[in-house]
Amino acid sequence: MGPVLSHVMVLLALIAGGHATLGPAHTNNWAVLVCTSRYWFNYRHMANTLSLYRTVKRLGIPDDHIILMLADDMACNARNKYPAHVFNNEDHRLNLYGDNVEVDYRGYEVTVENFLRLLTGRHDAAVPRSKRLLTDENSNILLYMTGHGGDKFLKFQDAGDIQSNDLADAFAQMYEKKRYRELLVMVDTCQAATLHSQLYSPGVFAMGSSLKGENSYSHHLDPDVGVTVVDRFTYYTLQFFENLDIFSNTTLQSLLRSYDPKLLDSHMHYRNDLFSRPLDKVLLTDFFGSVMEVEHTRTSYPMYGDDMGVYEPEEEVEALKASPFSEEEVSEVPINPGKFQSTSDLQVTLGLLTLVIIVSVVSVTLLGKGDIVVVIFSSNVEIGGGYYSPKDENDVQRRHKRSDLNGPAKSVALQEPWHVLTNINIQFYVVIEGRWLTSGTGPKAVPHLVP
Amino acid sequence: MASKDQTLPSLLVTLLFLLLFSALLSRISGLESVVDEKEKFSEDLLIRPLSDGKVLSHFYFKNYQRTLGSAAHTHVFPKAISQLVSKFHISELELSFTQGRWNYEHWGGLDPIASSNAKPSGVELWALFDVPLNQVDPTWRNLTHALSGLFCASINFLESPEGVASPNLIFESRLKSGADGFVRYGALPREAVCTENLTPWLKLLPCRDKAGIASLLDRPSIYNGHYHSLRVHVKRSGPERAVVLEQTLTIVLQPTQIREGGMKELPHWSLTSLFGRQLGGKCPVAHSSHVLLELEQSLVESVKASADKTGGKVTSGVDIPDNSVFHVSPYPEAVLVESLDSWDVPKFSSVMLEYDLEKYRSDQPLNLAMHWKQKMAWSSVRGPFRVSRFLTGSGNEKGSIAIEMKKNFNVSSENGDSSGGDLLEVTVFQMVPWYVRLYMHTLTARIDGNPVPLRDITTQMLVTPAEDRLHPAVLEMHLKLPRNMVSLSLTVDFDKGFLHIDEHPPDADHGFDLPAAFLSFPTSQTRRLYLNHQAADNKDSSLIQTLNEAGSLYVYTTILLVPLATPDFSMPYNVITFTCTVLALYFGSLLNTLRRRIGEEERLAKAGSGGKLKKAIAKFMEGKSENQKKLIKVSGVILVAAIGVTVSYVLEHFEAL
Repeated sequence: MGPVLSHVMVLLALIAGGHATLGPAHTNNWAVLVCTSRYWFNYRHMANTLSLYRTVKRLGIPDDHIILMLADDMACNARNKYPAHVFNNEDHRLNLYGDNVEVDYRGYEVTVENFLRLLTGRHDAAVPRSKRLLTDENSNILLYMTGHGGDKFLKFQDAGDIQSNDLADAFAQMYEKKRYRELLVMVDTCQAATLHSQLYSPGVFAMGSSLKGENSYSHHLDPDVGVTVVDRFTYYTLQFFENLDIFSNTTLQSLLRSYDPKLLDSHMHYRNDLFSRPLDKVLLTDFFGSVMEVEHTRTSYPMYGDDMGVYEPEEEVEALKASPFSEEEVSEVPINPGKFQSTSDLQVTLGLLTLVIIVSVVSVTLLGKGDIVVVIFSSNVEIGGGYYSPKDENDVQRRHKRSDLNGPAKSVALQEPWHVLTNINIQFYVVIEGRWLTSGTGPKAVPHLVP
Repeated sequence: MASKDQTLPSLLVTLLFLLLFSALLSRISGLESVVDEKEKFSEDLLIRPLSDGKVLSHFYFKNYQRTLGSAAHTHVFPKAISQLVSKFHISELELSFTQGRWNYEHWGGLDPIASSNAKPSGVELWALFDVPLNQVDPTWRNLTHALSGLFCASINFLESPEGVASPNLIFESRLKSGADGFVRYGALPREAVCTENLTPWLKLLPCRDKAGIASLLDRPSIYNGHYHSLRVHVKRSGPERAVVLEQTLTIVLQPTQIREGGMKELPHWSLTSLFGRQLGGKCPVAHSSHVLLELEQSLVESVKASADKTGGKVTSGVDIPDNSVFHVSPYPEAVLVESLDSWDVPKFSSVMLEYDLEKYRSDQPLNLAMHWKQKMAWSSVRGPFRVSRFLTGSGNEKGSIAIEMKKNFNVSSENGDSSGGDLLEVTVFQMVPWYVRLYMHTLTARIDGNPVPLRDITTQMLVTPAEDRLHPAVLEMHLKLPRNMVSLSLTVDFDKGFLHIDEHPPDADHGFDLPAAFLSFPTSQTRRLYLNHQAADNKDSSLIQTLNEAGSLYVYTTILLVPLATPDFSMPYNVITFTCTVLALYFGSLLNTLRRRIGEEERLAKAGSGGKLKKAIAKFMEGKSENQKKLIKVSGVILVAAIGVTVSYVLEHFEAL
């Protein structure tokens, strides 16, 4: 039944006009977070960068995929009344510096040269891996920069600056070297829009806090710390991210719409002419988070066995032995499609199908001529596979959420009707007077199928 | 008879069985011991109340790996370190991150903790390599990069040889154990030290900060202190070249002080008041885990004196953990007394209270606390000399560096220096970057204010002159000083050099920090011999074993801030724009003068407008009607346009080809 459903899904997608697919999704996420300002009075730039650091870390990008460049030491600065703390709000509820911060480039190392070397990957052979951007053509990179800038430049530590064409050329080199799949550039400086005015490499989406001739302002002053602690653009960005988690479906479009020029005191500017995907289909977690599929394999590490001396009940071991996870083994196991494990699965699926048909019929009758309704009914489950016995509800949820981005999960079997429900996506695409309305159930829209 | 016959074989069988069993047992135990010795991790925390009311906490983690295999799996030893050691052929390495200044006067200078953990501000790195001489510098360079990645610091700035010295004399006593190889020394006085350096340091520990003694490490409390020094020391020792990794963190904290009636009371403290946490047991993989409270000799002396005064008891009867001066809770498991050698215990000596963390659980945590009952004045054991370094002279052009050593009052002839006889031995090491140009011939020594010829007091002197942008000036002197002297000063004059504009750091106006100088006193031993007669097994605290080992005394001076002449950084831009304007004006007017011929314009005007082509066209047009003229003009325009288009197309095509 599973393959049949996925066929239906593909067929429907083709009927809907079939937006050109972008190939497989990215496989890894990287973040380069740069604070280019030195000195205590630029505390807010450090706080901006660290806030972003915390956000992307919270959304799942591991520390070794984050390159953090801080031009000065604020947390242990002699002027800091709160040692080992950096705050981005006067309420002091959150210490951005935390317990496990890892700064890759700091102090005098934050230079234009090092920054361009990092982007283009042209390092001295001695430079350690933790200071390199080890991306490939499947990497999505988030580049966040903050500091003092002007028309087509961004200052580095009051001593040097990077020009917008340097940045554009660096991206071009990265593109030539297949160092990214998509690149999101976010800049919080004065006249930020001018910094990305000269970009020309495909796959780059750039956004900046202010237009040419505009300043980007700080948000508020913390009287205890004695300086302003965050910039407006970053503050409202963080506010938007506050309620998002790694499984969020929020798109880039909603982030862009959230900026209010009155609150920012400047106009957020973005350019997507180099970017191929429609913005309302770009998940924020494509850049600000890391969604990775974790597959447990039994071949690489013997987790169960006599040599480990771990107590394992015999039956359980047998059951696990019978359900291998590695891909090679999966392909060898005969799959019996179209067979339900229990009759309740069949009932639930049939019921859902009927529901879908009824909804589509009703919506077709309700809508006028020329409006189109596309119903995508997809399942991520190969029913009857029987490789994986979920231990509990959470286990299923976790696994399911991990796998849904990257196509059908290979080994989720069903024991309860509930699991059918959680693993089926129903999406409605309705065109009313040329505008797309989308609704759907299920955990996440499949990005490359969207019109 | 028959019964005897029966018993004999059965006895034999039993014996055989026993033999087999014992063999098996011994094999198992042998296996166990092998597993034990392969890697060993132990953790200790030493707390010492200081005479100025602060509290010194010294975290000590020792990790041992017997064999260094390239791909060997390690259980508790950090793989990052073993890879580092094997890749860069390190015989010994020490890296320290320090903020604050060690107060040698109040916090002690002669004990092993102060001598090995009082470090100069910023980063200090030295390493002994077991590679041929031509390999040393590349290895050092790669090592600095590797360490900078490992510890989130800019140690890679030490890659350039302009800040690296190869000392000879100063490490002689430190590397006494027949170590061959080459030493490199570098320091970054300006390097910031914060949480990001502690994070990777903690990741080298098997329990990180999740269990055991390291769980006390609350970041804000550490960085709120007056002094903190993070240290990593790697050494290969023994015939098997086992790797010993010592990680220490030394913090001086100020417990909240309560003033009563204007009098500064000695503050009470506990683990919760210092770190906001309690100790809920040891790190499960640690071989031993101890908390030690060290009470200095003069404090013990005062306590005993006070007890004598009040109670009139016998001195030996004073209960150290709970007496009339202070009260320590909980009661320690063992009390160790410092002794001069194995059995000789002097009348007054330092006391160590020992707590074994094995006996504490998370539901029954250790909250070591010290409660003062009365004000008590005592002093820490100071080093033989008070050392300071400063700049003299005025102006921004030249000056001189002075190192001054003043004898401390409490140094008497019976103090530690046993082998020195009438002479005190001191080794001075000073490294100065090339842009502070030392004039070595101006090096003068003064004893008690009177100039002394250098050859009278130096036994050995090594000078490496600086070379611009290549290496720093290094001055190493081995001095033998008369024991009765009070002060010694060494001065050397310098000029300030000029840096290229791109050699200045972004905050050049701050000035340039010169790395700390340091002195070693080879004859003064920093050793505190605590003998634990109760703990006969090897579950003894590894920190106590380290304290028991003799080492020579080191004293660091502070770092020096030298302001250099900094240029106006907008000057190049100004110069370029100004020069360009002048050039443009000059060139433009010169060209104009050269090109222009006087009277030519008038001649041209007279010759009439238009050339031969125009005349030819006018001739061609003669006698044509208005309509014809129009047609000819239009077709002419079209022709020209067509030619233009064709040419551009051909050009483009050509280019494309």
